[in-house]
Amino acid sequence: MKGTIPILRLGGTLLATIPTELRDRVAQDFQDDILTALEERGGARGVVIDISGVETVDTYVARVLADTGRMAKLMGARTVLVGMRPEVAATLVRMGYSMEGVLTALNAAEGLALLRRRAR
Amino acid sequence: MDPRIDHRRYMKTLRLDEAELRARRAFFELTDEDLARLAALRPFAERVTDAIVDDFYKLILSQPETKKFFPDEAAVRRVKKTQREYFLGLFVGRCDLAYVEDRLRVGAAHDRIGLQPKWYLGAYRKYMQLICDHLFAELKDAGNVRDAFESIEKLVYFDAALAVDVYVAAKIEALERHQAAIRELSTPVIRVHDRVLLLPLIGAIDSHRAEQIMDSVLLKVSEAQARCIIIDIAGVPVVDTKVADSLVKTTAAVRLLGAEVILTGITAQVARTIVQLGVDISTMHTQSSLSEGIELALTFVGKSIQAAKRSRSPNRSGEAKSGKRA
Repeated sequence: MKGTIPILRLGGTLLATIPTELRDRVAQDFQDDILTALEERGGARGVVIDISGVETVDTYVARVLADTGRMAKLMGARTVLVGMRPEVAATLVRMGYSMEGVLTALNAAEGLALLRRRAR
Repeated sequence: MDPRIDHRRYMKTLRLDEAELRARRAFFELTDEDLARLAALRPFAERVTDAIVDDFYKLILSQPETKKFFPDEAAVRRVKKTQREYFLGLFVGRCDLAYVEDRLRVGAAHDRIGLQPKWYLGAYRKYMQLICDHLFAELKDAGNVRDAFESIEKLVYFDAALAVDVYVAAKIEALERHQAAIRELSTPVIRVHDRVLLLPLIGAIDSHRAEQIMDSVLLKVSEAQARCIIIDIAGVPVVDTKVADSLVKTTAAVRLLGAEVILTGITAQVARTIVQLGVDISTMHTQSSLSEGIELALTFVGKSIQAAKRSRSPNRSGEAKSGKRA
Protein backbone atom coordinates (compact mmCIF):
# COMPACT_ATOMS: atom_id res chain seq x y z
CA MET A 1 0.00 0.00 0.00
CA LYS A 2 1.49 3.29 -1.09
CA GLY A 3 -1.46 5.50 -0.40
CA THR A 4 -3.64 6.40 2.52
CA ILE A 5 -6.99 5.20 1.19
CA PRO A 6 -7.90 1.78 2.61
CA ILE A 7 -9.08 -0.83 0.13
CA LEU A 8 -11.40 -3.48 1.54
CA ARG A 9 -12.11 -6.81 -0.02
CA LEU A 10 -15.62 -8.24 0.06
CA GLY A 11 -15.61 -11.62 -1.63
CA GLY A 12 -14.67 -10.97 -5.23
CA THR A 13 -15.00 -7.20 -4.96
CA LEU A 14 -12.64 -4.47 -3.86
CA LEU A 15 -14.29 -1.58 -2.05
CA ALA A 16 -12.71 1.81 -1.42
CA THR A 17 -14.15 5.02 0.00
CA ILE A 18 -12.51 8.26 -1.10
CA PRO A 19 -12.29 10.93 1.62
CA THR A 20 -13.53 14.52 1.19
CA GLU A 21 -10.72 15.78 -0.90
CA LEU A 22 -8.75 13.84 -3.46
CA ARG A 23 -5.42 15.46 -4.25
CA ASP A 24 -3.50 14.59 -7.40
CA ARG A 25 -0.78 12.68 -5.51
CA VAL A 26 -3.29 10.72 -3.44
CA ALA A 27 -5.30 9.87 -6.56
CA GLN A 28 -2.21 8.51 -8.28
CA ASP A 29 -1.25 6.40 -5.24
CA PHE A 30 -4.82 5.16 -5.04
CA GLN A 31 -4.68 4.00 -8.66
CA ASP A 32 -1.43 2.14 -7.98
CA ASP A 33 -2.92 0.51 -4.86
CA ILE A 34 -6.03 -0.69 -6.70
CA LEU A 35 -3.99 -2.20 -9.51
CA THR A 36 -1.55 -3.79 -7.08
CA ALA A 37 -4.46 -5.21 -5.11
CA LEU A 38 -5.94 -6.71 -8.28
CA GLU A 39 -2.56 -8.22 -9.10
CA GLU A 40 -1.76 -9.59 -5.65
CA ARG A 41 -5.15 -10.58 -4.39
CA GLY A 42 -6.14 -12.48 -7.49
CA GLY A 43 -9.70 -13.31 -8.34
CA ALA A 44 -11.27 -9.89 -7.77
CA ARG A 45 -13.93 -9.37 -10.43
CA GLY A 46 -15.13 -5.94 -9.45
CA VAL A 47 -14.10 -2.65 -7.89
CA VAL A 48 -16.52 -0.26 -6.15
CA ILE A 49 -15.18 3.25 -5.57
CA ASP A 50 -17.40 5.33 -3.28
CA ILE A 51 -16.95 9.04 -4.00
CA SER A 52 -20.01 10.29 -2.09
CA GLY A 53 -17.78 12.27 0.27
CA VAL A 54 -15.90 14.01 -2.52
CA GLU A 55 -17.00 17.62 -2.90
CA THR A 56 -14.83 18.73 -5.81
CA VAL A 57 -13.20 16.82 -8.63
CA ASP A 58 -10.94 18.37 -11.24
CA THR A 59 -10.38 16.84 -14.65
CA TYR A 60 -7.05 15.36 -13.60
CA VAL A 61 -8.57 13.41 -10.73
CA ALA A 62 -11.57 12.47 -12.89
CA ARG A 63 -9.19 11.11 -15.50
CA VAL A 64 -7.21 9.14 -12.94
CA LEU A 65 -10.45 7.57 -11.68
CA ALA A 66 -11.70 6.79 -15.19
CA ASP A 67 -8.28 5.41 -16.17
CA THR A 68 -8.24 3.25 -13.07
CA GLY A 69 -11.53 1.76 -14.25
CA ARG A 70 -10.15 1.09 -17.72
CA MET A 71 -6.91 -0.43 -16.35
CA ALA A 72 -8.88 -2.63 -13.93
CA LYS A 73 -10.98 -3.81 -16.84
CA LEU A 74 -7.84 -4.94 -18.67
CA MET A 75 -7.07 -6.96 -15.55
CA GLY A 76 -10.50 -8.55 -15.63
CA ALA A 77 -12.41 -6.44 -13.10
CA ARG A 78 -15.27 -4.01 -13.70
CA THR A 79 -15.18 -0.73 -11.81
CA VAL A 80 -18.23 1.17 -10.57
CA LEU A 81 -18.03 4.76 -9.35
CA VAL A 82 -20.76 5.25 -6.78
CA GLY A 83 -22.39 8.17 -4.99
CA MET A 84 -21.14 11.05 -7.10
CA ARG A 85 -22.57 14.32 -5.82
CA PRO A 86 -24.85 16.35 -8.09
CA GLU A 87 -22.55 19.37 -8.10
CA VAL A 88 -19.56 17.21 -9.00
CA ALA A 89 -21.47 15.62 -11.90
CA ALA A 90 -22.58 19.04 -13.14
CA THR A 91 -19.04 20.41 -13.00
CA LEU A 92 -17.53 17.45 -14.84
CA VAL A 93 -20.12 17.57 -17.62
CA ARG A 94 -19.77 21.35 -17.97
CA MET A 95 -16.03 20.85 -18.36
CA GLY A 96 -16.87 18.45 -21.17
CA TYR A 97 -15.81 15.44 -19.19
CA SER A 98 -18.55 12.82 -19.08
CA MET A 99 -16.37 9.77 -18.28
CA GLU A 100 -17.66 7.58 -21.11
CA GLY A 101 -17.41 3.89 -20.49
CA VAL A 102 -17.32 4.23 -16.71
CA LEU A 103 -20.00 2.38 -14.78
CA THR A 104 -21.80 4.43 -12.15
CA ALA A 105 -24.35 3.75 -9.43
CA LEU A 106 -26.23 5.83 -6.89
CA ASN A 107 -24.64 4.17 -3.86
CA ALA A 108 -22.39 1.31 -2.79
CA ALA A 109 -25.24 -1.20 -2.46
CA GLU A 110 -26.40 -0.43 -6.01
CA GLY A 111 -22.83 -0.63 -7.22
CA LEU A 112 -22.42 -4.11 -5.78
CA ALA A 113 -25.78 -5.16 -7.25
CA LEU A 114 -24.71 -3.83 -10.64
CA LEU A 115 -21.48 -5.86 -10.50
CA ARG A 116 -23.45 -8.98 -9.55
CA ARG A 117 -25.77 -8.48 -12.54
CA ARG A 118 -22.80 -7.96 -14.84
CA ALA A 119 -21.11 -11.10 -13.53
CA ARG A 120 -24.10 -13.24 -14.40
CA MET B 1 -41.52 40.45 7.72
CA ASP B 2 -41.50 42.46 10.91
CA PRO B 3 -41.37 46.13 9.84
CA ARG B 4 -39.36 47.04 12.91
CA ILE B 5 -36.40 44.94 11.79
CA ASP B 6 -36.75 45.57 8.06
CA HIS B 7 -34.24 48.37 7.95
CA ARG B 8 -31.64 46.35 9.85
CA ARG B 9 -31.69 43.78 7.08
CA TYR B 10 -30.82 46.55 4.65
CA MET B 11 -27.73 47.39 6.70
CA LYS B 12 -26.50 43.95 5.61
CA THR B 13 -27.80 44.08 2.02
CA LEU B 14 -26.20 47.47 1.43
CA ARG B 15 -23.06 46.36 3.29
CA LEU B 16 -23.26 49.42 5.51
CA ASP B 17 -20.29 48.97 7.78
CA GLU B 18 -17.73 51.44 9.11
CA ALA B 19 -15.70 51.35 5.87
CA GLU B 20 -18.77 51.98 3.71
CA LEU B 21 -19.86 54.79 6.02
CA ARG B 22 -16.43 56.43 5.72
CA ALA B 23 -16.54 56.12 1.92
CA ARG B 24 -20.00 57.63 1.73
CA ARG B 25 -19.15 60.50 4.04
CA ALA B 26 -16.00 61.19 2.04
CA PHE B 27 -17.96 61.32 -1.18
CA PHE B 28 -20.58 63.67 0.23
CA GLU B 29 -17.72 65.67 1.80
CA LEU B 30 -19.55 65.42 5.07
CA THR B 31 -16.89 66.39 7.57
CA ASP B 32 -16.84 66.56 11.37
CA GLU B 33 -16.86 70.34 10.91
CA ASP B 34 -20.18 70.06 9.09
CA LEU B 35 -21.59 67.93 11.89
CA ALA B 36 -20.40 70.42 14.53
CA ARG B 37 -22.04 73.22 12.58
CA LEU B 38 -25.28 71.26 12.42
CA ALA B 39 -25.19 70.61 16.15
CA ALA B 40 -24.72 74.35 16.73
CA LEU B 41 -27.84 75.00 14.63
CA ARG B 42 -29.93 72.82 16.93
CA PRO B 43 -31.61 75.76 18.76
CA PHE B 44 -32.52 77.27 15.41
CA ALA B 45 -33.94 73.95 14.25
CA GLU B 46 -36.06 73.58 17.37
CA ARG B 47 -37.56 77.04 16.82
CA VAL B 48 -38.48 76.44 13.17
CA THR B 49 -39.44 72.75 13.20
CA ASP B 50 -43.19 73.25 13.50
CA ALA B 51 -43.33 75.93 10.80
CA ILE B 52 -41.24 73.88 8.38
CA VAL B 53 -43.12 70.66 8.95
CA ASP B 54 -46.49 72.42 8.53
CA ASP B 55 -45.45 74.04 5.25
CA PHE B 56 -43.91 70.80 4.10
CA TYR B 57 -47.19 68.93 4.56
CA LYS B 58 -49.11 71.69 2.80
CA LEU B 59 -47.29 70.68 -0.39
CA ILE B 60 -47.73 66.98 0.20
CA LEU B 61 -51.42 67.25 1.01
CA SER B 62 -52.05 69.56 -1.96
CA GLN B 63 -51.23 66.81 -4.47
CA PRO B 64 -53.71 63.95 -4.88
CA GLU B 65 -50.95 61.42 -5.60
CA THR B 66 -49.16 62.12 -2.34
CA LYS B 67 -52.23 62.97 -0.30
CA LYS B 68 -53.59 59.44 -0.68
CA PHE B 69 -50.81 58.17 1.61
CA PHE B 70 -52.38 60.16 4.45
CA PRO B 71 -56.05 59.23 4.53
CA ASP B 72 -57.11 61.00 7.73
CA GLU B 73 -56.20 63.65 10.28
CA ALA B 74 -54.75 61.09 12.69
CA ALA B 75 -52.37 59.82 10.01
CA VAL B 76 -51.27 63.37 9.24
CA ARG B 77 -50.65 64.08 12.94
CA ARG B 78 -48.62 60.89 13.20
CA VAL B 79 -46.38 61.64 10.22
CA LYS B 80 -45.93 65.24 11.29
CA LYS B 81 -44.59 63.99 14.59
CA THR B 82 -42.23 61.57 12.78
CA GLN B 83 -41.23 64.36 10.44
CA ARG B 84 -40.34 66.66 13.35
CA GLU B 85 -38.12 63.90 14.76
CA TYR B 86 -36.53 63.41 11.37
CA PHE B 87 -35.89 67.12 10.96
CA LEU B 88 -34.35 67.52 14.40
CA GLY B 89 -32.28 64.40 13.68
CA LEU B 90 -30.39 66.44 11.11
CA PHE B 91 -29.11 68.70 13.87
CA VAL B 92 -27.72 66.15 16.29
CA GLY B 93 -24.16 66.48 15.14
CA ARG B 94 -23.36 62.84 14.53
CA CYS B 95 -23.34 60.58 11.50
CA ASP B 96 -22.45 57.08 12.65
CA LEU B 97 -23.89 53.65 11.94
CA ALA B 98 -26.71 54.21 14.42
CA TYR B 99 -27.66 57.35 12.49
CA VAL B 100 -27.53 55.42 9.20
CA GLU B 101 -29.72 52.68 10.63
CA ASP B 102 -32.24 55.27 11.73
CA ARG B 103 -32.27 56.80 8.24
CA LEU B 104 -32.73 53.39 6.62
CA ARG B 105 -35.92 53.09 8.61
CA VAL B 106 -37.25 56.06 6.64
CA GLY B 107 -36.44 54.41 3.30
CA ALA B 108 -37.88 51.08 4.43
CA ALA B 109 -41.09 52.75 5.61
CA HIS B 110 -41.49 54.56 2.28
CA ASP B 111 -40.93 51.35 0.37
CA ARG B 112 -43.48 49.52 2.53
CA ILE B 113 -46.24 52.00 1.78
CA GLY B 114 -45.24 52.11 -1.91
CA LEU B 115 -44.12 55.74 -1.97
CA GLN B 116 -41.92 56.12 -5.01
CA PRO B 117 -38.56 57.96 -5.00
CA LYS B 118 -39.93 60.73 -7.24
CA TRP B 119 -42.20 61.85 -4.40
CA TYR B 120 -39.68 61.85 -1.63
CA LEU B 121 -36.96 63.36 -3.79
CA GLY B 122 -39.46 66.08 -4.69
CA ALA B 123 -40.32 66.45 -1.02
CA TYR B 124 -36.64 66.83 -0.14
CA ARG B 125 -36.52 69.73 -2.59
CA LYS B 126 -39.28 71.48 -0.69
CA TYR B 127 -37.48 70.79 2.53
CA MET B 128 -34.34 72.48 1.28
CA GLN B 129 -36.28 75.52 0.14
CA LEU B 130 -38.04 75.89 3.48
CA ILE B 131 -34.79 75.47 5.39
CA CYS B 132 -33.12 78.04 3.18
CA ASP B 133 -35.91 80.58 3.75
CA HIS B 134 -35.74 80.16 7.51
CA LEU B 135 -31.95 80.33 7.54
CA PHE B 136 -32.03 83.69 5.78
CA ALA B 137 -34.62 85.03 8.18
CA GLU B 138 -32.62 83.83 11.16
CA LEU B 139 -28.97 84.34 10.27
CA LYS B 140 -29.16 87.38 7.97
CA ASP B 141 -25.46 87.18 7.00
CA ALA B 142 -25.19 85.58 3.54
CA GLY B 143 -21.86 83.90 4.33
CA ASN B 144 -23.23 82.22 7.45
CA VAL B 145 -26.35 81.12 5.61
CA ARG B 146 -24.25 79.65 2.84
CA ASP B 147 -22.08 77.66 5.30
CA ALA B 148 -25.07 76.40 7.24
CA PHE B 149 -27.03 75.53 4.12
CA GLU B 150 -24.08 73.64 2.66
CA SER B 151 -23.73 71.45 5.76
CA ILE B 152 -27.46 70.74 5.83
CA GLU B 153 -27.46 69.99 2.13
CA LYS B 154 -24.66 67.43 2.49
CA LEU B 155 -26.51 65.53 5.20
CA VAL B 156 -29.85 65.71 3.38
CA TYR B 157 -28.30 64.33 0.19
CA PHE B 158 -26.58 61.68 2.29
CA ASP B 159 -30.00 60.71 3.70
CA ALA B 160 -31.66 60.77 0.28
CA ALA B 161 -29.00 58.44 -1.11
CA LEU B 162 -29.74 55.97 1.69
CA ALA B 163 -33.46 56.17 1.01
CA VAL B 164 -32.96 55.51 -2.70
CA ASP B 165 -30.56 52.66 -1.94
CA VAL B 166 -33.14 51.00 0.29
CA TYR B 167 -35.77 51.45 -2.39
CA VAL B 168 -33.55 49.79 -5.01
CA ALA B 169 -32.47 47.02 -2.61
CA ALA B 170 -36.11 46.26 -1.81
CA LYS B 171 -36.95 46.00 -5.51
CA ILE B 172 -33.97 43.71 -6.15
CA GLU B 173 -35.05 41.50 -3.27
CA ALA B 174 -38.54 41.26 -4.71
CA LEU B 175 -37.09 40.35 -8.12
CA GLU B 176 -34.94 37.65 -6.56
CA ARG B 177 -37.95 36.20 -4.79
CA HIS B 178 -39.85 36.09 -8.07
CA GLN B 179 -36.93 34.52 -9.87
CA ALA B 180 -36.75 31.82 -7.21
CA ALA B 181 -40.46 31.17 -7.68
CA ILE B 182 -40.07 30.97 -11.45
CA ARG B 183 -37.10 28.66 -11.03
CA GLU B 184 -39.17 26.39 -8.86
CA LEU B 185 -42.05 26.42 -11.36
CA SER B 186 -39.85 25.94 -14.41
CA THR B 187 -38.52 22.58 -13.26
CA PRO B 188 -41.42 20.73 -11.63
CA VAL B 189 -39.97 17.33 -10.86
CA ILE B 190 -42.69 14.81 -10.06
CA ARG B 191 -42.31 11.38 -8.52
CA VAL B 192 -44.29 8.98 -10.73
CA HIS B 193 -43.24 5.77 -9.04
CA ASP B 194 -40.80 4.52 -6.47
CA ARG B 195 -37.43 5.86 -7.66
CA VAL B 196 -38.86 7.05 -10.98
CA LEU B 197 -39.09 10.82 -11.53
CA LEU B 198 -40.72 12.86 -14.27
CA LEU B 199 -39.84 16.35 -15.43
CA PRO B 200 -42.37 17.73 -17.91
CA LEU B 201 -40.72 20.69 -19.60
CA ILE B 202 -43.03 23.36 -20.90
CA GLY B 203 -42.15 26.56 -22.71
CA ALA B 204 -39.02 27.93 -24.29
CA ILE B 205 -35.64 26.92 -22.91
CA ASP B 206 -32.82 29.44 -23.01
CA SER B 207 -29.31 28.73 -21.86
CA HIS B 208 -30.05 30.08 -18.38
CA ARG B 209 -33.02 27.77 -17.90
CA ALA B 210 -31.08 24.88 -19.41
CA GLU B 211 -28.47 25.28 -16.67
CA GLN B 212 -31.20 25.38 -14.03
CA ILE B 213 -32.76 22.23 -15.46
CA MET B 214 -29.47 20.38 -15.19
CA ASP B 215 -28.82 21.47 -11.59
CA SER B 216 -32.36 20.78 -10.49
CA VAL B 217 -32.52 17.37 -12.20
CA LEU B 218 -29.23 16.28 -10.60
CA LEU B 219 -30.31 17.46 -7.18
CA LYS B 220 -33.71 15.75 -7.35
CA VAL B 221 -32.27 12.49 -8.66
CA SER B 222 -29.72 12.47 -5.88
CA GLU B 223 -32.26 13.38 -3.18
CA ALA B 224 -34.75 10.73 -4.27
CA GLN B 225 -31.99 8.22 -5.12
CA ALA B 226 -33.98 7.76 -8.31
CA ARG B 227 -33.05 5.07 -10.78
CA CYS B 228 -34.25 7.16 -13.67
CA ILE B 229 -35.84 10.44 -14.60
CA ILE B 230 -38.11 10.93 -17.57
CA ILE B 231 -37.68 14.32 -19.22
CA ASP B 232 -40.67 15.04 -21.42
CA ILE B 233 -39.97 17.78 -23.96
CA ALA B 234 -43.29 17.61 -25.81
CA GLY B 235 -44.17 21.06 -24.42
CA VAL B 236 -40.98 22.73 -25.58
CA PRO B 237 -41.80 24.69 -28.75
CA VAL B 238 -38.31 24.94 -30.21
CA VAL B 239 -35.49 22.52 -29.60
CA ASP B 240 -32.48 24.08 -31.23
CA THR B 241 -28.94 22.75 -31.09
CA LYS B 242 -28.29 24.58 -27.81
CA VAL B 243 -31.27 23.00 -26.07
CA ALA B 244 -30.44 19.60 -27.52
CA ASP B 245 -26.85 19.97 -26.35
CA SER B 246 -27.95 20.86 -22.83
CA LEU B 247 -30.26 17.84 -22.72
CA VAL B 248 -27.41 15.62 -23.82
CA LYS B 249 -25.19 17.12 -21.10
CA THR B 250 -27.90 16.61 -18.48
CA THR B 251 -28.20 12.99 -19.59
CA ALA B 252 -24.45 12.51 -19.21
CA ALA B 253 -24.41 14.14 -15.77
CA VAL B 254 -27.32 12.02 -14.52
CA ARG B 255 -25.47 8.93 -15.69
CA LEU B 256 -22.48 10.01 -13.60
CA LEU B 257 -24.73 9.85 -10.57
CA GLY B 258 -25.61 6.29 -11.46
CA ALA B 259 -29.09 6.92 -12.83
CA GLU B 260 -30.62 7.20 -16.30
CA VAL B 261 -32.47 9.83 -18.29
CA ILE B 262 -35.30 8.88 -20.59
CA LEU B 263 -36.14 11.61 -23.08
CA THR B 264 -39.71 11.56 -24.30
CA GLY B 265 -41.85 13.73 -26.51
CA ILE B 266 -39.27 13.59 -29.28
CA THR B 267 -40.77 14.94 -32.47
CA ALA B 268 -39.37 14.44 -35.96
CA GLN B 269 -37.77 17.88 -35.86
CA VAL B 270 -36.08 17.18 -32.51
CA ALA B 271 -34.82 13.83 -33.75
CA ARG B 272 -33.31 15.63 -36.74
CA THR B 273 -31.62 18.24 -34.53
CA ILE B 274 -30.13 15.69 -32.18
CA VAL B 275 -28.72 13.59 -35.02
CA GLN B 276 -27.34 16.68 -36.72
CA LEU B 277 -25.56 17.57 -33.48
CA GLY B 278 -23.50 14.44 -34.00
CA VAL B 279 -24.17 13.23 -30.48
CA ASP B 280 -23.54 9.62 -29.60
CA ILE B 281 -27.11 8.43 -29.20
CA SER B 282 -26.25 4.78 -28.63
CA THR B 283 -26.39 5.28 -24.86
CA MET B 284 -29.43 7.60 -24.79
CA HIS B 285 -32.88 6.33 -23.89
CA THR B 286 -35.51 8.07 -25.96
CA GLN B 287 -39.18 7.47 -26.72
CA SER B 288 -41.61 9.45 -28.77
CA SER B 289 -44.43 9.38 -26.23
CA LEU B 290 -44.50 9.84 -22.48
CA SER B 291 -46.45 6.63 -21.89
CA GLU B 292 -43.76 4.60 -23.59
CA GLY B 293 -41.21 6.48 -21.52
CA ILE B 294 -43.00 5.49 -18.32
CA GLU B 295 -43.10 1.85 -19.42
CA LEU B 296 -39.36 1.94 -20.10
CA ALA B 297 -38.70 3.70 -16.79
CA LEU B 298 -40.54 0.98 -14.88
CA THR B 299 -38.29 -1.68 -16.38
CA PHE B 300 -35.33 0.11 -14.76
CA VAL B 301 -36.84 -0.50 -11.34
CA GLY B 302 -37.90 -4.03 -12.19
CA LYS B 303 -41.58 -3.27 -12.71
CA SER B 304 -43.88 -3.47 -15.67
CA ILE B 305 -47.36 -2.41 -16.66
CA GLN B 306 -49.73 -5.31 -17.15
CA ALA B 307 -53.33 -5.53 -18.23
CA ALA B 308 -55.52 -6.21 -15.23
CA LYS B 309 -57.45 -9.45 -15.24
CA ARG B 310 -60.96 -8.45 -16.17
CA SER B 311 -62.78 -10.72 -13.78
CA ARG B 312 -60.92 -9.46 -10.70
CA SER B 313 -60.84 -5.71 -11.16
CA PRO B 314 -63.32 -4.70 -13.81
CA ASN B 315 -63.00 -0.98 -13.20
CA ARG B 316 -59.30 -0.64 -13.60
CA SER B 317 -57.76 -0.89 -17.01
CA GLY B 318 -54.08 -0.74 -16.17
CA GLU B 319 -51.91 -0.71 -13.12
CA ALA B 320 -48.24 -0.99 -12.35
CA LYS B 321 -47.49 -4.34 -10.83
CA SER B 322 -44.38 -5.99 -9.65
CA GLY B 323 -43.07 -8.26 -12.30
CA LYS B 324 -39.94 -9.88 -13.48
CA ARG B 325 -37.10 -7.51 -14.30
CA ALA B 326 -37.30 -6.84 -18.00
